[in-house]
Amino acid sequence: MIKKFDKKDEESGSGSNPFQHLEKSAVLQEARIFNETPINPRRCLHILTKIIYLLNQGEHFGTTEATEAFFAMTRLFQSNDQTLRRMCYLTIKEMANISEDVIIVTSSLTKDMTGKEDVYRGPAIRALCRITDTTMLQAIERYMKQAIVDKVPSVSSSALVSSLHMVKMSFDVVKRWVNEAQEAASSDNIMVQYHALGLLYHLRKNDRLAVTKMLNKFTKSGLKSPFAYCMMIRIASKLLEETEGGHDSPLFDFIESCLRNKHEMVVYEAASAIVHMPNCTARELAPAVSVLQLFCSSPKAALRYAAVRTLNKVAMKHPSAVTACNLDLENLITDSNRSIATLAITTLLKTGSESSVDRLMKQISSFVSEISDEFKVVVVQAISALCQKYPRKHSVMMNFLSNMLRDDGGFEYKRAIVDCIISIIEENPESKETGLAHLCEFIEDCEHTVLATKILHLLGKEGPRTPTPSKYIRFIFNRVVLESEAVRAAAVSALAKFGAQNDDLLPSVLVLMQRCMMDSDDEVRDRATFYMNVLQQKQKALNAAYIFNGLSVSVLGLEKSLHQYTLEPSEKPFDMKTVPLATAPITEHKTEIAPVATSKLPEKLAPSRQDIYQEQLSAIPEFQGLGPLFKSSEPVQLTEAETEYVVRCIKHTFANHMIFQFDCTNTLNDQLLQKVLVQMEPSESYEVLHYVPAANLPYSQPGSCYSLVRLPEDDPTAVSCTFSCTMKYLVRDCDPNTGEPDDDGYDDEYVLEDLEVTVADHIQKVLKPNFAAAWDEVGDECEKEETFALATVRTLDEAVNNIVSFLGMQPCERSDKVPENKNSHVLFLAGVFRGGHDVLVRARLALADGVTIQVTVRSTDDNVVDVILASVG
Amino acid sequence: MGLFDKLAGWLGLKKKEVNVLCLGLDNSGKTTIINQLKPSNAQAQDIVPTIGFSIEKFKTSSLSFTVFDMSGQGRYRNLWEHYYKEGQAIIFVIDSGDKLRMVVAKEELDTLLNHPDIKHRRIPLLFFANKMDLRDALSAVKVSQLLCLENIKDKPWHICASDAVKGEGLLEGVDWLQDQIRAMKT
Ligand SMILES: Nc1nc2c(ncn2[C@@H]2O[C@H](COP(=O)(O)OP(=O)(O)O)[C@@H](O)[C@H]2O)c(=O)[nH]1
Ligand SMILES: [Mg+2]
Repeated sequence: MIKKFDKKDEESGSGSNPFQHLEKSAVLQEARIFNETPINPRRCLHILTKIIYLLNQGEHFGTTEATEAFFAMTRLFQSNDQTLRRMCYLTIKEMANISEDVIIVTSSLTKDMTGKEDVYRGPAIRALCRITDTTMLQAIERYMKQAIVDKVPSVSSSALVSSLHMVKMSFDVVKRWVNEAQEAASSDNIMVQYHALGLLYHLRKNDRLAVTKMLNKFTKSGLKSPFAYCMMIRIASKLLEETEGGHDSPLFDFIESCLRNKHEMVVYEAASAIVHMPNCTARELAPAVSVLQLFCSSPKAALRYAAVRTLNKVAMKHPSAVTACNLDLENLITDSNRSIATLAITTLLKTGSESSVDRLMKQISSFVSEISDEFKVVVVQAISALCQKYPRKHSVMMNFLSNMLRDDGGFEYKRAIVDCIISIIEENPESKETGLAHLCEFIEDCEHTVLATKILHLLGKEGPRTPTPSKYIRFIFNRVVLESEAVRAAAVSALAKFGAQNDDLLPSVLVLMQRCMMDSDDEVRDRATFYMNVLQQKQKALNAAYIFNGLSVSVLGLEKSLHQYTLEPSEKPFDMKTVPLATAPITEHKTEIAPVATSKLPEKLAPSRQDIYQEQLSAIPEFQGLGPLFKSSEPVQLTEAETEYVVRCIKHTFANHMIFQFDCTNTLNDQLLQKVLVQMEPSESYEVLHYVPAANLPYSQPGSCYSLVRLPEDDPTAVSCTFSCTMKYLVRDCDPNTGEPDDDGYDDEYVLEDLEVTVADHIQKVLKPNFAAAWDEVGDECEKEETFALATVRTLDEAVNNIVSFLGMQPCERSDKVPENKNSHVLFLAGVFRGGHDVLVRARLALADGVTIQVTVRSTDDNVVDVILASVG
Repeated sequence: MGLFDKLAGWLGLKKKEVNVLCLGLDNSGKTTIINQLKPSNAQAQDIVPTIGFSIEKFKTSSLSFTVFDMSGQGRYRNLWEHYYKEGQAIIFVIDSGDKLRMVVAKEELDTLLNHPDIKHRRIPLLFFANKMDLRDALSAVKVSQLLCLENIKDKPWHICASDAVKGEGLLEGVDWLQDQIRAMKT
């Protein structure tokens, strides 16, 4: 639209984008013509476009230059050219946060928003709200209220949507506009109605009761706007989910009734909401599925796409419902829209029988090269799910994946494939060698550092334990020669593992290591030197501790401890035991449908949950000198979900103490609680030292209080204890509307559920990638063994799960997965006991009448072995 | 200027345009004055305090005025200078009933007159001693004494008493301004 004004610029610019080679300083120079009179709208318009273009390209404007340009632009309000004026609005919005004193245009904008020119009014409102902060909002409040109920739909919509943005910043002011929004909700215009509903919902969304009332009102009175209906369906299903409302609820009836709405949009939204609900019965599902089925054969591509995408998403959750649509899905395989076809096939793959796999895979191969990466990832996810369902098909899949790996494609796509191959290897030991071979081939020509290092790590872990480890050495060493620093470093670490595991490879690994010691990169050289020295000792224990299993401390914690140590230098060497352990982002096995989609890159330096707790607790003066935080439990609920006060507890374990953190929420809007604490009565000789109360607990704002407890020192085996808990506090009644409390209050208390401390609270999970090496390293000095019978347990799976969750230790070597049709199994668990002692458990399980378990425990400390055996027995 | 504009100007159909800054402390009556000068069908019904500035237009017999009606509140006064270069004339409004802030008005006026963008330009200054209807209002003479207007030597200036609500005294001022501008231009 703008382009046609300036043909010359377009011709001189290269290619089709006339703005390609803009220079910020030149554009700002040009902006001086804004100061000239009379104003030339055509030229000014063009310059504003350039400024907005630059801003959107991410060009940085300094405050001074931005402010200067902004004030120059304000003069353009002299002109009555409509296009120019609207461009000014856009510029104001873009520069609202980078120029100073933008409020200078407030009166000009209020004049436009209340003026006679309708084309100015809506955009002026939107610009005005961008430059207005909470203090200034009062000044325009009157105009906003009028605009919300204005009879011109674009004005009303603009005011409603702007109000919605202002809610985040000035909730209390916007709240006062509820009546106007209510009036707008009965507008005849479908957009106004939709926007009004949006505003009303956002003003109330923290108050479940009010949302319910609002829904009731609108479902009864009925709305015109299909958009509003879609939104109501979303609100209703969110409410159902939060309240775990049964399907006899009127909310469900409402959603179901929308399946018969005359707008396709609403029908689809309702169907999608129903199939996404947890625990729907087949009968409840049926009408929704038949709607989707109908859409599958719609002439509108958008409807077909929506339907098949939804079916794809719920395929694993409701396989039988989706199979009902198989015929329709089969028809879509040849759909001319490739996205629809891909989704159809992958849906069929997810639900199909084992025999149909080969046929469908062939079908996909015929067009996989034509679809976008995004859909290729969908295909990989389907394959991944399929491999879990039909492990026997892994060779077909592996083949297919290796072909995909050779194709062109972006990072996300390649990562999905690599993750899928890795998960197949882990699930099916017999596929290991083929899988590793494919991955070796892939890293020979792989541009993604992250993937190359990940694969090298896997090769180091798995390769040495294959029948012919030597064949991987070449692939790994090639990386040392050819790749970037990060990859070379990973290759060195992988090589070291081969040397440590295989005595006959050691000499050649040492030779290669020697060469790596001359690398140009510090990290690579350091690693090589380190491994060289460890390997030359030829000691199993050293190899286990420094090559196979590495450090298991929190990186952030280590950084902090080292920093602390350098601040207070001492004669004593730095003690690794003072460093908090890393908490489990460790590869916990997820039983999710699509593991590919969920395995995100670990964000390197994001602090873990425990790092955050450590920080918070150390800020409380009462908790000084407890040492590093050893473990934080998952939150334990101490109240029912829908009670006056909601309390949950997190147990923090230190070397000799525990801190109990009670997160409390007051759900009564007519009460302010003060001096809140949870009094604890222990069943054993645990001693409560300190209570740290929460000073204030206003309505719906969570607060925390703490109790500090000393663990019994004389009896190290006393690891479990039951606490009876009572919340004590001062109540001050208050006005539900203003939150203003009465002057005086009264003491009250509230009984909570008992809190258990168990052995798992004293053990931190640690993953030992090579369990056997760790087992040898700890040695049998303090080993003890005992046999137990679990009469009530029926399957090995159940027994394994019980042991894992009871001890709270980390399963290693994926031994928490019991292969099918087996009646014996070995489970390996690793952890560190409070105080820093390694503890390893090997449990041999046999299925007979119930399950018999032979438990062998090794640790560096006698007491720990006793504690574990005593608590299992 | 497009050809038509030139032609129109030459034929005397199109009026000469001038940019005027309207300055003065808040609540002195700037917006009310400008509103009075606008054609009656374009006048606003109620006057609210200005935030930032607002651009208004009105015509006299021979000129077409574009007025930058600035906000007079303390925190916006330092933003006036952004528009000094524009002004071909200045209307400075004083609330003649506000004796307390007369010194503040003088201070702002002095700052204005010493600003590099104003100092060396011979632009006409029109003062309105507004709100003359108030019982204890100072006379125009008194106001000009308090503001030391006689010290302004390098610019033509004029002061008249006005009542913006009723519209009294405004035309006298604007006529003077029109004459000054025409004299300057030709
Ligand atoms: N009595 C009286 N009141 C006036 C006169 N001129 C303006 N006002 C009032 O003074 C207040 C401020 O006027 P306004 O134009 O907003 O002042 P501004 O801040 O300088 O723009 C309004 O309530 C006007 O009605 C006047 O000549 N006489
Ligand atoms: Mg004003």
